Order: sequence, then C-alpha cells, then structure tokens
Amino acid sequence: MTTQNIKTADQMYFTKEHDLVRKSVRDFVKKEIAPNLDEWEETGETPLHELFKKMGDLGFLGIRYDPKYGGQGLDYWYELVFLEELAHIQGLGLPVAIAVQTHMATPAIYEFGSEYLKETYLVPAIAGDMVTSIAVTEPGAGSDVSALATTAKKDGDHYVINGSKTYITNGTQADYLTLLARTSDDPGYHSFSLFVVPTNLPGFQVSKKLDKLGMRSSDTAELFFDDVRIPKENLIGREGEGFIYQMQQFQHERFSAIPGGYIVAKDIIDLTIDYIKGRVVFGKPLIKRELLQHRLAQWLTEIECLKSLTYHIVQMKMAGLECTREISMGKLKAAKVLQGVAADCIQMFGGMGFMNEALITRFYRDARIISVGGGADEVMCQVIARLEGF
Amino acid sequence: MEFQFTEKELAFRAELEEFIKSALPPDWQERARSWPGGYGAMEYDSEQDRKDAESFKQKMVDEGWFTVSWPKEYGGRGLSNMEQAIYFERTSYYRAPSLNIATAIMGPTILQIGTEENKEDWVPGIAKGEIEMWLGYSEPDAGSDLASIRTTAVREGDEYVLNGQKIWSSLAHASNYGWVIARTDPDGHRHRSVSIIVVDNNTPGVAIRPLINIIGVHSFNEVFFDNVRVPARNLIGQENMGFYYLMTALDFERLIVNIGAFKHGLEMLCGYVKRTERGGKPLGADPHVRRKLAEIAARVEIAYLFYWRTATLLDQGKIPSVESSALKLVTTELSRMLANASMEILGPYSMLMDPAQGAPMNGMAPRGYLDCISATIGAGTSEIQRNIIATRGLGLPSK
Repeated sequence: MTTQNIKTADQMYFTKEHDLVRKSVRDFVKKEIAPNLDEWEETGETPLHELFKKMGDLGFLGIRYDPKYGGQGLDYWYELVFLEELAHIQGLGLPVAIAVQTHMATPAIYEFGSEYLKETYLVPAIAGDMVTSIAVTEPGAGSDVSALATTAKKDGDHYVINGSKTYITNGTQADYLTLLARTSDDPGYHSFSLFVVPTNLPGFQVSKKLDKLGMRSSDTAELFFDDVRIPKENLIGREGEGFIYQMQQFQHERFSAIPGGYIVAKDIIDLTIDYIKGRVVFGKPLIKRELLQHRLAQWLTEIECLKSLTYHIVQMKMAGLECTREISMGKLKAAKVLQGVAADCIQMFGGMGFMNEALITRFYRDARIISVGGGADEVMCQVIARLEGF
Repeated sequence: MEFQFTEKELAFRAELEEFIKSALPPDWQERARSWPGGYGAMEYDSEQDRKDAESFKQKMVDEGWFTVSWPKEYGGRGLSNMEQAIYFERTSYYRAPSLNIATAIMGPTILQIGTEENKEDWVPGIAKGEIEMWLGYSEPDAGSDLASIRTTAVREGDEYVLNGQKIWSSLAHASNYGWVIARTDPDGHRHRSVSIIVVDNNTPGVAIRPLINIIGVHSFNEVFFDNVRVPARNLIGQENMGFYYLMTALDFERLIVNIGAFKHGLEMLCGYVKRTERGGKPLGADPHVRRKLAEIAARVEIAYLFYWRTATLLDQGKIPSVESSALKLVTTELSRMLANASMEILGPYSMLMDPAQGAPMNGMAPRGYLDCISATIGAGTSEIQRNIIATRGLGLPSK
C-alpha cells in the first residue's frame, strides 16, 4: 500500500475489498436486524435459526474459516470489519448471540476437531443450518474454570455426561453445545475435555430461561445433563486437553468483545450529542457546556486508545504473534470504556435517561456484560499480572 | 462538640423503632427491594406487598406518625428537625413504606406559607392520609432549570385555566391531587411569575400517561393539562410567589435522602460476602471485596455525619442550602457506588434479576444498578448540586 493513496485514517488499514464486506454486513444489519430489534428485545427471543440461515447464506458466519468447510478464508482484518459492523446493532444482545456462533463455540472445533466433527458440526454452523452454544460456566464455576464439576465418563464407545451449565447464551435454541467437562478426578489442568454435545439427546434439558439485567434480545439458559450419552467421536481433539483448548478458544471470544467497546461507546456518544444539542438549559444547549464537552472529549480519547489497541492486536494476529496479554488488556479496557461512557451519557439525558423508551437505557443495561462474560475484569487482571511475571 | 442524642431524642427513637417493628410484616426485609436514593422501585411486585404497604401506611395515619413533625395545634408533635431526621433515618433503615410526600412536604409548606383558606381546604385531608399529592414541577424543557417552565395558569373569574405538560411526575397515577407550578404572569421576572396551584386529578382536561422506567416499573408519568379549570382558591399562598414557596417546600425535603437505607444496603452486602463462598473461601476474604466494602463503609459514615449536621443547622434556624446540596450529592453518588460495588462483588450472579431464579439478595443489585441512575438526576442533577456548592458555598463566580 503506497502512502500517497491514503486520504483517511481508515485507508491505512482497510482496502476497497474490506469496504465491500463492511457494506454488506452494514446493509444486512439495517435490513434484517434493525427493523425487528425492538420486538426481539421485548419478547426476549430472537429467531436465531431464521437469522443465522440468512447470515450463513451471505457467508458471514465463517469469515476466517477455510472455504472447504464453507468459510470465506479471509484474514483477521475482515473479521474485525465484521465485528465492528455487528457492534452497530443497537444493543449488545444480538452481537453476542452471533459471536457465540462465530467466536465462542466453533473455533476449537475448527482448530482441534476431527474431520468428522468439522463436516458434521462446523459446516452446518457456518452455513447457518445449526445454532450453537458454548457451555463452560457452571453454577459453582464461572471465571474460575478449573472448579468445573460436570463430568464426562467414558463408557465403551460413548461418554456419559452429568451435571449442569448456566448463563448459556443461545442455550434455549442451540442444536449443539461445545461443552467443557471433567474427564478425570486428578487435580490440574489436564483433567478436562471439550465435547460437541447435540441437544436432541435423551437426558438433556433446558432447566430454565434466565431473566437478566440486560441483553434482552438474547436468550440465556441454565442447562441440565442427566446421563446424556454422546458418541466418543464427539470428543474435540485429545482427552484431557479440553482446558487448554478452551483457554485458546477464549482468546477468540475475548477478542470479539473488544470492537464493541469502542464502536458502541462511540454510537452512545453520537446518540447523546444529538440529544443534548437540542436540550436547552439555562438559556443554551447542553452541548455548549464546557463541563459536558470535556467529559465527552475525555471519553473520545479513551475510545481512540482502545481502537488503536484493537488494530494493534489485529496486526499481531496477522503476524502470527501470541497476543493473550494484549487481548486481556483490550477486553478489560473495553468494559471500562463502555460502562463509563454509558453511565456518563445516561446522566446527560436527565430524566429521559431513566425511561425505558429511551435507547440509552438499553445500552446502559447491556454494557455490564463485558465485565462478566468470557472471564470477568478481575480474571483479565490476573492474566495480565501472570504474564507480567508478578 | 458532643456526638450523641438527647434523652428525649433517644426516647423518640425507641418508640418509633418499636412501632416500625410491630407494624411491618415480619418478613418485610426479605421482600422490600427499594434501592437507597433510587426513585424507580416505588411500585410493589405483588398484590400482597401492596396490601401490606397500604396497611402499614394506615397504621402510620391511625397512630399519628405521618404528622409527628407538624405543629401541635394541627395535631402534630412539633418535632425538632433532629427528631425528624431520626424519623427519616429509622424508617429508611427498615425500608418501611412510609413515604408520604403530602404529609412530609406539602402539609408543612401550607402550614407555613398558605392562606387560612388553604389550611382549611387541604390540611385535614392531608393529615388523614386522604389527600395524596404528586409534585408537578418538571416539564419536557424544564428540569433542573425549573424557572423555564411553560405551563400557564390564566385567571378567568374565580378560576384558573391551566395549559401545558408535566413530566417525570412520580406516582401521579396513584395520588389524587397535583401540586403544580404554573406561570401566572407571562411578562414577569422568571422567578416572580409562577404560582403553586393544587389540581384535582379528576378535573376534565387532565390526562395522565404512564412512563415505564429503566427497571420496567411504572413509577413516573407525563401529565397533560388541556384547558383545565381549577377553582381560584386552589392557589397556594399569593400569586406569583410560587418560586419562593418552592424553596420553602424544599427545606422540608432536605432530610429525605434515604440515609438509613445506605446503612441497610451495606449491612446486606456484608452479610452476603460473609456467608457466600467462592473458590473455597468466604467472598469477604477477597482483598478486592474487602477494599470496596471498607470504602463504602467510610462513605456511609461521612454521609451520616453530614446528615446529622444538616438537621442541627435546621434546628439552629439556618437554611442549609449548601450543606443539603452536598448531602444530596454525597448520598446519590454513594447510591451509584454501592450499586457498582454490588455488581462487581456478585460477578456473574449480578446479571440475575429474578429472586425465584436464584438471584442473590433478592435481585437487589441489578435493580439498584438501574435505579441508582435516577438518584443523580432527580431533584437537581449532580452537576447542578456542584454548581450550587461552587457559587453559594465557595462564592465562586457563576459565569
């Protein structure tokens, strides 16, 4: 890329081909998601099979994956474009539901699964014929994954699964789960395995659909496994390595949360500016108050920093570098920026900021999730501290 | 300086506490879900809760607790402000459904600035709990900047004709009269052209539309006035003096900061981290959790000292305008801090709203996280409070 053709900062990173993908995702969000979103938020259930099929047809669900499985075989910059455009959906529920399919439940199958698993489960996920979930968290084990109690016992040609999983996004609609279970009682990290668990097997039950603070358009479930027998072929990779695989899969999940940090925060600020331009208090529009201008200026600075870190991470991925440290920092920062922006902006809406009908309230409710999902803020700090050798 | 209650105050506190404990259902603490400083959870979750709250309020009326602060000639006990402060502290600590703004704010205001006719018309009904009022202050284009209100009241014979709109009117749908400020002199100075007029909700031309708040609860309303004809005797005090009366009414609001609920909230959170284990250790052993709670405990203590001091100033006949702005600022921002800390401490469990699905602390944390937004906005935003402290307290220039 020669510098003379560069007229905008975006052109330093994105080509015309990237822009085409960006436009097609943006058009899809505008046509297929935006008009239905309020209803999905209201009913608490998005018809994922219908939506994912449309996305699969357009190639959105396998941007990075090999074309032999139906993917697009594109690089990390295209993936970033996809995540940035999804983040423009007004509310975090749906982007997270989609990222479960693309970044949370399928990367381990793609990287470590057998050809059989890829043909049987990855291909339909990319095509949008199957809806997936990632089942790691349990009632007694959240960010502390090693405390998992769900077991998978080998029995002839099968594994038998017992236990429960909770906070499972897409859990009421999933056709299969990518599930982490204990396969040995030994302490340490080599006692877990990752499995593909179809949800149409006897003994599987959605024990409840959870009523939660935000992300109303996305369903979250508690799942129960009572002697669920799965074929041994559904083991992903090698037995005992599931925890290690999941730690790697988490890198995709955590990365997928970062673009939302700066894109959603910026959308919230734009929404707020629109409102306070028209809001006259003590004789002049609120936007003319230096206090509010500076508050927004500070957040715009934070947003720019987060965006730069994200682009730096993509460059590291492109170079094949290990970037757990940077991804952990990015997710931690994304949570802080998004929640800070949402709290400061909701204040600028005054009384309107407390009304359910105002979109800002949805952003405020949803923003909490980044601090909790895919490893809490405290876990990100632990990872960073460990990598720093403290 | 001696930090202790007098014998009389202690006796009052003990009597009040005994009443609250005997009149509230024994399991009320497990059911109450109001958040310190929040405005949004005033509606009750179940019919049983609503009935219990009504029955508690009736006991308050029957035993004269709603009017304890009123002058003796109107059936009150003529409490000192310190006793009044004790009253608000204990009722909010027990999260008693005791807020009755007509007896706490409008009644005393009328007694202070109302005409004899006003007192005859309104005071007995308010005292009996038969007249409940909503505050008709904010409008779509006038919130913290209240002098910009546009609702008009035009005198025609022995009536006023009201036109305009009020917004964020808490519990307008559940009370029977509005305490409405309206512009009565379109050409007058912005502070000397508004009046307070009491409007019966059932007057033709009054339309109340619900606003659902961020928690999903109906606590607020929009109220529209379309040629609403109100008897002229419903004017409170003198015409065009409304803004000054508002300041008087505000004096009665200064101590209503839910102070006891903060202590209760902290105790609830401490109880939770003591009995909850995570990773084989009590949550309370986690350094992050301990640091958060210690910080909040210090701030609750500061807020309490500020609170008692405000009551003392009121008893000395001073108008604690800077102090009560500071008290409002400190407590409402503490409301947010307590909510954020609860969310962080509960971790993934903070996402659960429904106690029936195992939400810890009765789902208080996520509700508080939503409700605390109202605290720093309603009754003058944090930004406005800081302006008041800067100009009136520190004498800094306003422009």
